[in-house]
Amino acid sequence: MKIKKVLIVEDDSFLQGLETKKLEEVGYVVVTASSGEEGLKKINEPDIDIVLLDLILPNFDGLEILKKIKGTEALKNIPVIVFSNLSEEKTIKRSMELGATDFMVKSNFTLDELVKRIDSVLK
Amino acid sequence: MEDLEKLKTENEMLKKANENKSDIISITAHQLRTSLSALKWILKMFVDEEIGKLTSEQMELVRKAYTSNERMLALVNDLLTLNRSENITIPYNFKKVDILQLVEQTLFEFYGETNNKGIELIFLKPETIIPSINCDEEMIRVVIQNLIENSIKYSNANGKIFVSLSQKENNVQISVHDTGIGIKNEDKDNIFQKFFRAPNAIEKDAVGSGLGLYTTRNIVEKHNGKIWFEDTQSGETTFFVILPIL
Repeated sequence: MKIKKVLIVEDDSFLQGLETKKLEEVGYVVVTASSGEEGLKKINEPDIDIVLLDLILPNFDGLEILKKIKGTEALKNIPVIVFSNLSEEKTIKRSMELGATDFMVKSNFTLDELVKRIDSVLK
Repeated sequence: MEDLEKLKTENEMLKKANENKSDIISITAHQLRTSLSALKWILKMFVDEEIGKLTSEQMELVRKAYTSNERMLALVNDLLTLNRSENITIPYNFKKVDILQLVEQTLFEFYGETNNKGIELIFLKPETIIPSINCDEEMIRVVIQNLIENSIKYSNANGKIFVSLSQKENNVQISVHDTGIGIKNEDKDNIFQKFFRAPNAIEKDAVGSGLGLYTTRNIVEKHNGKIWFEDTQSGETTFFVILPIL
């Protein structure tokens, strides 16, 4: 079975490291980006299966990135899970309207729960 | 006229101050959550012994640290909900809402958790048609969530939670009944107070901020509704919420 590739767009290097470690342990290939610009560049790498997207990022707002991904024909079918510590209704609503597959508040989930969610989206 | 102008200016200043307070809470909550997420994930690695075996003493300490972190996260989450419920600069979004559907959707979120805990969550579906009500859907969802969360938190395995919905004249009534630890007589007057947690509640579940029922009552009253509870000697408790239809 083909190994799945996850793009993590997360500017907090410590959280990014923990997410990467967990996902690699369970068998995913992980590509990381620490800014919005880098995220938009790396989403064009071949075979990205899913994006884990933080919202507060340097240079580009995460919602802008989501909008660009969903507005690009070649990328729009890649599922995007917004993984943020924001939880305002308007932010969740906007993310879902823009085409996010799910909105997860980081602090409410363990990394195992994150893996389960990614597994189920890619199943 | 001068007094009216003065009042208007003061009102604007208060609104601005309230807006600033809300912004500070939102930003602080975000930053706190980022640090607490890191702690949560690391402590979980220790608890699950992913990075090596722990002695029983080490495990006990790590578990305590994990619970303590969860308590802090619950406080942050509850502060955010409270802030939203009291924020006059973001008015409630009142609209016609199918309350039956809202109760069913909210219950659905809890079946996984109740199954895992061996608790039975039962919805006693109304036998008559329940009219839609005029409310802020997300806020009333919080009310239902808070009541069910409390019932789950304070129930033992094999406990039962019954949720019902009915029309009472020009109101709808939501009730959540559980067979949990109950509310002691001496705590009854304080149960809706900010930051109050009854000793038996703390003993049963260390994670909790004491803001849940305070916020719940706040939201219900902003809908011109009422919330109260009834209990029996055996520890069964029912919370009732009445919300006007129009």
